[in-house]
Amino acid sequence: MLLARYEVFVPVERESQVHWHRLASPDIEANTLSITPAQKRIRPSEPVKSFMFQPRQRVGGMPQPAEPGEPVPRVLLGIKNCDLVSLKVHDKVLTEGGFNDPFYAAQRKSTMLVVADCPSPEQSCFCNLLGLTPYAQEGADAVLSLVNGDWLFETERRGQELTGMAPGLFAGLAEYAMEITVRGEQRKAAAAALSVINPRPWNPDLPGAIGARLNDAAFWNRHADSCVECFGCLMGCPTCYCFLLYDQAKDGGLERTRVWDACYEAAYARVGGGANPRAEFVRRFANRFDCKWNQFKRDYGMYACSGCGRCFKACMGRIDIRKVLGEL
Amino acid sequence: MNNPYQPTPATILSMTDETPNIRTFVLKPDDEISFRAGQFVELTVPGFGEAPFTPSSSHFERETLEMTVMKVGRTTDALFNLRPGGVLGVRGPFGKPYPLARFEGKDIYIVGGGVGLAPLRALFLALTHEMGKYKRVYLRYGARTPSDIVYKHLLPGWQKLPKVDVELSVDVSDEKWMKRVGVVTCLMDEIPCDERTSVAVVCGPPMMMKFVNRRLLEAGFQPENIYLSMETNMSCGVGHCRHCRLGPYLTCKDGPVMTWSQIKDIENPFV
Repeated sequence: MLLARYEVFVPVERESQVHWHRLASPDIEANTLSITPAQKRIRPSEPVKSFMFQPRQRVGGMPQPAEPGEPVPRVLLGIKNCDLVSLKVHDKVLTEGGFNDPFYAAQRKSTMLVVADCPSPEQSCFCNLLGLTPYAQEGADAVLSLVNGDWLFETERRGQELTGMAPGLFAGLAEYAMEITVRGEQRKAAAAALSVINPRPWNPDLPGAIGARLNDAAFWNRHADSCVECFGCLMGCPTCYCFLLYDQAKDGGLERTRVWDACYEAAYARVGGGANPRAEFVRRFANRFDCKWNQFKRDYGMYACSGCGRCFKACMGRIDIRKVLGEL
Repeated sequence: MNNPYQPTPATILSMTDETPNIRTFVLKPDDEISFRAGQFVELTVPGFGEAPFTPSSSHFERETLEMTVMKVGRTTDALFNLRPGGVLGVRGPFGKPYPLARFEGKDIYIVGGGVGLAPLRALFLALTHEMGKYKRVYLRYGARTPSDIVYKHLLPGWQKLPKVDVELSVDVSDEKWMKRVGVVTCLMDEIPCDERTSVAVVCGPPMMMKFVNRRLLEAGFQPENIYLSMETNMSCGVGHCRHCRLGPYLTCKDGPVMTWSQIKDIENPFV
């Protein structure tokens, strides 16, 4: 019944990589939770934004205009809090700024987010440095916690629908006082582990520190030197939302596609006449930090970063942004 | 469904060649685009691309839009290949208009360079349409050569309007040119209005803007009274795509016209 109503995606591990996997067969339902790496504390390398802010999306056309179409009812089962928080960035930019992106908004609304606690963080995790927690605090439709081998399932109103539709899947999940206590201890332990991985907090005035250093090319160059401009950090980032509207000729008119873009791209800020305010790579490198940890914080009250670590796991130049930001 | 990325068809009614590489297109959009002077639109040449332009017609004219465009790259090359009857796409209006209410009762000192006169024309027409609200309008305009002057056929008429003062210069003259020779700042040696209270509005190539702005500040114009048209890569137009970021601003949302007091702390804003 769940699969009849929703597309259900879970993270699964294949050849030591974690990917989103769509549950296709009803008989897999009973085993869903045993195959989710929710309990294995890992997240898929594909950022969760790809489900509603697609890498390529037709958003306009002439003579045939583009419309969002019917959104897909979808459940993302076992996302982590960092990915949940990352969607807030897209919500703010794409739906709260006066102009709405109807393509994102429709699919976002039709996606149910079931967040799993992180039992213990990876060495690349740093949500604690951003003031975040390894478990959901707000915005989840339901929360999963593995307690003594069973799943504790905490629902918001919207998530309750799930328990009714797949009783086999969520059997035995209840809010027992004892389990809630254990869950609290596990959460504390996960947070404590993050403090061990990332013991030193960032400059409390990180935006100010970045602003002050913005034109210090020597500082940025020291970190940017090993970058090969592959843009893996930006494509994998769950919060990056830059895009390009790309037109192609079609049927005597045009088809307009919104594609993910990367601010490290040389032509990113270039204007029609050829002038480019960030022609040198070091300026584009500094611009990324200025955008995500300075300007976004000033504009929206949050960092455009959720501490997932995908950027430096993808980095061929081994640039760890924790180190860059830690030196500010 | 309101889709901000979807262009509306607009038909080219007529075209006027202003200079060898600048042309004015008169467009009739299928749906009315009710802009205010200073706001911009995104113009699509079907199959080639989209670019931002500020209309140069009066915002009191509702049916049509005039766009004065310089041929500089792929999209504008394709635009120049179109003919009357051709169909473009248009989105907008976007950005903030000139705050005309703040200009009331004041002298307005407009400085333009090259094709930068296009958005200033929309402002000029809006001001002169209700001239009773403003003290005087001064227009200082410079072009490379006499043949590079846009709106050649309109400028003599503007000069004759009451409470309007127009002066022109060219960098390089020809045998017929009888007016000033030099970059546009040569028209700014003496500024005939009260610098402390007047409004200055500037649009032109980045280097021209940089020096005109410097001259205005030296003359005593207040940073919050100097309005500059900032050129950045405005792509989506609605504050989503991030391409046009200029320091703490998104030019498409906070501009494209910004005051010097807003941008003075940005390193080299005139690129």
